[in-house]
Amino acid sequence: MDVILNDIVDANDLRKFRHQYEEQCGRGVPSEKAQFEYSICLVRSRGEQEIKHGIALLEDLFKRTHDPGTRRDCLYYLTLANTRIKNYEQALTFSDAFLKIEPMNRQVKDLQHYAKIQLRKEGLTGMAIVGGAALALGGLIGLGVHLARK
Amino acid sequence: MSRIDAKVVLLGKNYVGKTCLVNRYIHQRFMPYQITIGAAFGSMKEMVDGKPLVLGIWDTAGHEAYESITRMYYRGAVACILCYDITDKSSFERARFWAGELTNTEPKCKIYLCGTKKDIVDDDQHKRQVELSMAQPLARDFGTELFETSSKTGENIDSLFKTIARDVVQQRTSDTKKHEERTSRDGFILDDKTRQRGCRLVACSLS
Repeated sequence: MDVILNDIVDANDLRKFRHQYEEQCGRGVPSEKAQFEYSICLVRSRGEQEIKHGIALLEDLFKRTHDPGTRRDCLYYLTLANTRIKNYEQALTFSDAFLKIEPMNRQVKDLQHYAKIQLRKEGLTGMAIVGGAALALGGLIGLGVHLARK
Repeated sequence: MSRIDAKVVLLGKNYVGKTCLVNRYIHQRFMPYQITIGAAFGSMKEMVDGKPLVLGIWDTAGHEAYESITRMYYRGAVACILCYDITDKSSFERARFWAGELTNTEPKCKIYLCGTKKDIVDDDQHKRQVELSMAQPLARDFGTELFETSSKTGENIDSLFKTIARDVVQQRTSDTKKHEERTSRDGFILDDKTRQRGCRLVACSLS
């Protein structure tokens, strides 16, 4: 899973597919293929901004395409992209939508499993922070009460 | 992240069974009917002469619509398992297409030709569309042996990956030897230059 989540697009590929996409945009509506290929490069980028741009393009493609295969592939890459930027809840929404169509898909099931574990970990950390804060607050109140009595 | 020692890529027409091959090798199970999206990854440790070699395996989507994306994944691979379905002649033509492209763009990548679904032709010889006499010359061109595999029974799958791992180690050993020979030869020239520069520096400081 680590390899897929950390796999970085080659800079030349990104440039090539961006050029192709932007050229088509300049002439009108870009082809679904050009938009898909460019988004895949974007979601495999290092920067969060690029990944978010890729997500926006994939969501747009998902809405405008009539091809079930493209919709399916968009859902997979939306799951992957959101996992990469640690947006796990969003990732799970997309993986659930995908698995409704194709419940046995290994690629998506693996991603979903990973996102669920991360979310649980975050939940535990969150609880620990809240717990710690409560303890600190309790201590302060205790100290206040103690001082007031004096 | 575990260390990957060698990148292996699977190429071939859709439905030839690339994912099944990887699943059989890594998980020892047969799960047909999975359409790969983009590329999937798996890794596996092989032992060569008692030393571990971790293969990082990229399983690419076979659909032609994915062709330009597939190209992003074979870059830097040291080995390619080029798959065709023994029962589908058109998949063999597709394998030829990839072979031509790979030899041009990745000359260092060694190609292993692999005919899949052997169990089907073992059951019924009439289903064979790609004869050994067609495939063997192509494998010879790549300088490797031809593998006919079955992901259903597991036949020849381990031997395919073991051959790849052994070849990678052999290639690296011979590359290191060549490199050592070159540095020990060029070492003198470098030493000479250093000495000259050293002299000049001394000369400057003296003047």
